[in-house]
Order: sequence, then C-alpha cells, then structure tokens
Amino acid sequence: MTETPPVELGPGEYGAEAPVTGQGRMEAAWGSSEGDEDLSDTQMTQPTSTGHVFEQVYKPWQGELNPRWMRNWAILRHHLLGIFKKGHRPWGMPTRLFILVVFLASLSDAALTLLSGLLGEASIHQLWGVSRDNLYGHVLGFFPRNVLYYPIVAALLVGSVISEDRQHGTSALYFSRPITRFDYVGMKFISVALIQAIVVLLTLTLYYLAEIISLGRGWAWILDTFPLFLAAFLSGFLLIFTYTSIGLALSSVSKGKFFPGIGLLAIVLGTKVLAVLVSTLFDREILYLLSPYDCMAHVGQTIIGTQPTYDQYSWTWSLASLVAMNALALYTLSARVSTMEVTRE
Amino acid sequence: MVDELIIKTTNLSKSYGPHVALDDLNLAVKKGATGLLGPNGAGKSTFLKTILGLIQATEGEGTVLGHDIRTEGDAIRARIGYMPEYDALNPDMDAIHQVRYSGELLGMNPTIALARAHESLQYVGLGEERYRKIGTFSTGMKQATKLACALIHDPELIIADEPSNGLDAKAREYMIQTLTTTVKAGGRSVLMASHLMDDVERVCENIVLLHKGKLAAQGAIVDLKAIDREIEIHVWGGATRLAEAMEADGLAVRREGRVMRIGHTDEDTTTRILRCAAQTGAQIRRMHEYEASLEDLFLVIMENLGYEIKTSEDLLGSPALARKVDAPAHMGGGGA
Repeated sequence: MTETPPVELGPGEYGAEAPVTGQGRMEAAWGSSEGDEDLSDTQMTQPTSTGHVFEQVYKPWQGELNPRWMRNWAILRHHLLGIFKKGHRPWGMPTRLFILVVFLASLSDAALTLLSGLLGEASIHQLWGVSRDNLYGHVLGFFPRNVLYYPIVAALLVGSVISEDRQHGTSALYFSRPITRFDYVGMKFISVALIQAIVVLLTLTLYYLAEIISLGRGWAWILDTFPLFLAAFLSGFLLIFTYTSIGLALSSVSKGKFFPGIGLLAIVLGTKVLAVLVSTLFDREILYLLSPYDCMAHVGQTIIGTQPTYDQYSWTWSLASLVAMNALALYTLSARVSTMEVTRE
Repeated sequence: MVDELIIKTTNLSKSYGPHVALDDLNLAVKKGATGLLGPNGAGKSTFLKTILGLIQATEGEGTVLGHDIRTEGDAIRARIGYMPEYDALNPDMDAIHQVRYSGELLGMNPTIALARAHESLQYVGLGEERYRKIGTFSTGMKQATKLACALIHDPELIIADEPSNGLDAKAREYMIQTLTTTVKAGGRSVLMASHLMDDVERVCENIVLLHKGKLAAQGAIVDLKAIDREIEIHVWGGATRLAEAMEADGLAVRREGRVMRIGHTDEDTTTRILRCAAQTGAQIRRMHEYEASLEDLFLVIMENLGYEIKTSEDLLGSPALARKVDAPAHMGGGGA
C-alpha cells in the first residue's frame, strides 16, 4: 500500500489530488486555528445585518375594477376550479374522490362499447352499445346511476354551497361587494350544475363518441341517432336542474351540510320508494307524481321514446309536477337568499 | 366644504313595520376617520346596510362618495371596503386565497388580485402567515384578514364594524395602529363602529352618535369635548362640606371620594371653588383642568338627552342592560 505524497498547497487551496478528509469543510465552518487568536482580528469588517424589520407601508392601487361579468366569472371559477386544484373553493377530499369514482363508473358503457369495437364482439355491443334504451339508461337508469351515483354527487355538492355562507358568515363577503343576490345564487347554481354535467352529460357525450370512433359510424348512423342523443342530453339537463334546485333550496334553509345532503337523498329516494310501495300494494301509480326521479324518468322515457313504465297517467302530469317542484324549490331558494344578512345572521 | 363629505343623508328614515330603525337622520360625515357610536338597537347596523345600498330607506335620501344610496348600491360597494364584525371567512381556505377571492368578487383580475392580496396581508401584518388555513388563526389574525379583504382594492372609504372586538391588548393595539396608518399615511377614510370608546378616540377625529334611530350628536371629538369641560380637585379635610358649599354656589359637582370634578362653566369657576374652600376650611391639594375622555363625553350627551345612566358600560354592555337603561318616562321612554 503506497501512501499518497503530500501536496504543497497555499492556505485555503485544495488540489484535485488532495484526499477527501472533510477538513476543508470543517475549516470553512469552524476555522483552522487553535482558537487562541486575538479576537479583534476576527471582527467583521462589513456592517452586521440587523435582520428584517417589519415596516407597515400603505400601498395604494390605481387599477380599474372589471364589470359584472367578471365578478360572476369569479364566483363560477372559484367553485368549479375548486374540484380540480387548490386555492379555490375547498371541496372536501371525499367529495372530490367520489366524483372521480362516479365519473369513471359512468364511463363503463363507453368503455365496453370501445371494447366491443376492439374485439368485434357483437354480443357486447348489443348489451352496451348506443341504443334508445342505453341512452336513457345512461342518464335516467334507476340502478345504479340514480341510486348510487347522481343523487349522491348532487347531495355532496349542494350540501354546503349556500349553507356554508350562513355558517361561516361568508355571505357578508359577497353582499358587501357589488354582487346581487341573483348573481350570487345564479352562479352557485350554475357551478354545481356544471360539476354534475361533467359526470352526467360529459360522460354521455363520451359514450356517444366512443360508439362513433370504435365502430366507425358514418353520417347516416349519426343522423339517425343524434335526435336520441339530444333527447338523452335534454333529460340529463332536466335531471341536473331538478337535483340542483331542490338541493340548493335545502342548502339555503340550513347552516350545515348534513341536512341538505341527506334531505336531497331522502326526497329523491324516499318518494321513489313510497311510490313503488303504493304501486305494488294498491296498483296505483299516482304517488309517483311526488317523486322527482319518477317524474323525470317518465318525461325522459317520453322524449327519448323508450317503453314507458308509468302508463296510468299522461307524461304531461309528470312534466307539470316537475315544473311545480322546481318552482317551489327556486322560490324557497330565492326567498332564503334574499334574507341573508351582511351585518349579522 | 361639501366636496369633503363622504357620507351625507337628508331626512333618512327606515321603518320595519311599526318599528322605526332610523328616524329622520341628517348626517354629514367628512373625509377622515369617524366613529359611529350608539347603544345596541340604536340603528347602527340599519344605517350601515342603508348606506351600503343593501336596503331601501323608507324616506329621505343620501349619498356615499357622491353615489345615491337608493339607486347606486353597486357603485358604492365597489368603492368602499367593508370589514364585518362577525366571522366572514372560510376556515378551510388559506388567507392568501381568501383575500384574493374577495378581490375577484370586486371585479379584479385574478393575477392582480393575487398580487394585491400579498400586499394587503403584508400590510396588516400577516405576511408570514399567508399560506396558513384561516381555521388555525387567532381572533386577531382573523380580524386582520378581514381588514386585508376590505383593503384589497384600496377603497376610498373603509367601514369597519367593531374592528377591535375580542382582541387581546397586542392585537388590538396593532389593529388601531393599522387603521390609523390607513387614514394618516394612506389618506383613506374610515367609518368605525365600535363599543370601545378608547379605540374610537385613538383612531377617529369625528364621531356620529346614534340613539334609538336618531342622531344624538355629530362632529369633531375636540369640539364636542368642549361641552364637557371640568376642573378636577383633590381635597383633604372637609370634602363633604366643600361639595355642599359648591353645590349651594350653583356649581355642578361630581364626587368620587376626595376627588371632585366641577363643571367649568365660566372664567370665575376657579375663583368660586377657591372661595368655597376658604369658607369651609377644606384643603385643595391639587387643582387642574380635567381632559374629558370620549366616554365622559358620551355620558354627558346621554345625560343631556335625559337618560339615567351611570357608565357607558350600562348602555353598551348588553342588549338586556340597554333596554333597562332607558329614557325617563316623561321623555317617552320606559322610565327605568
């Protein structure tokens, strides 16, 4: 074993061949002397920093404020982007995860349509491909979509959208600014509806596109089925509007998120169960007029053109009932929002 | 000067059914800092909502920064910064994003709003806490965040509703200092509603005093204090005899043990006090002009109006006490 020859270097210099001993770092940190030097030599020649002292300075701002549409866009953006990124409305992680799961689950028919196209398997396509019944089922099918998916998404979304402003007093933040009650409630409504539209209508569109792409559908097929798609889209719009108006009405009468959420589920599923029980026991379907889901399903079946399951009454009864439900919900919503205070609740 | 007025109301009234919340209010608030005082139920909240254009006055008219309160509520709210008394923040949001959002709600571009949010939070002393959730903030930090929300667009008028309510001494001091800097260095106006007379006195040069929806007093604090000039004397020996002699001489005497305050009505007051002391053999060991506090002024005004109160705490402390302390029966009150 040969020893490394000593390298002649000036103070503070280290050659490439110098052994790595950590000495340089030690010297840089602690100095290399014995500690007996004259302390006057070690005094700093540069002025010492006294650190940053906080100085309160008022900074004026000369900018221009944008008009009404920009304020409304801010409310929409705040709620919508909160689903995707930090810094906007803090939707809870369970809500965001559930929306993701429902979004993926809602694409199951699109995935199977793609699979049938890839495999060339007609039986899969017969079950899952675009058809009158499947378009209806994508939007208004009871199980699982209107039991496990869409009402729960709506309940999670509407639960705190207005009630949190009552709970935290953040209504003052809106109404002490040039935001009208109409704009406030309108933008909250559209925000919640748009998030639901991603789950319901975007997945419906992707499903339809998956059929066109995977099976190479031509113009003739598109012309043939597009009215069905539009009817399903309209049904989806009706579904979103109804769930949102009822949900926000419940949110506006509450200060917490549990009551509006559970209330919406109770209304949607409870009335449906009641209608089914009465129909089964007494063979009378009249109570379905109290069920938002049944009314939407009846109207949806009519405009899409599938076999109606509610055949004792005309679909116009269902439409009238839906209009009445939405009117009542919107009236409650507007009445409650108009009483929200700036100074105190 | 008329153009210096930031708030002006003429015969402004607001009724909720039979209840009159604001009664024929004629106000002229000048640029600068003004304190809005009044007991619970005096009409302060109704007044604030009316000048923000959020509720319609039953009668009368008014302007804020030149805008009509009846028709230009949006324009008023775009030019003022409102700091509410109660919680108005989302506890799950970071301070920076909450303040930025409050700017966006005014119509600020998101990028500009973010830059201003940084500046505003720095100004109110939360520069290092910008990215903390508001739910973890102390009361003082929440108040500061609300102030940052109000200041983000550099408003001409800041309406601060109980800005120092619930704060500890340090946070309260900082809030007062911030509001003072905003007025003096920033050149902005502040309308400060508060129950804390000391805070109002430190920030404001003017006050507006409301009671039962009516204007009880308005003007510069210095001028208003002139109605309450007193001489304070410290007496040793024969204090009761001296007090009786001074009262017999027509002087207004308030006594707390051996300390007495005598209304300074004219130039002869000092001579009359000394004469009474000489007659009664009481020793006056200290005599000086007493500088009234805003609280003293408040009490004097209320007493002049015929209200039987001991301290401002009685009137401002709680709604129950406020109801109890009422005008005498002959003045239309409950006679408590």
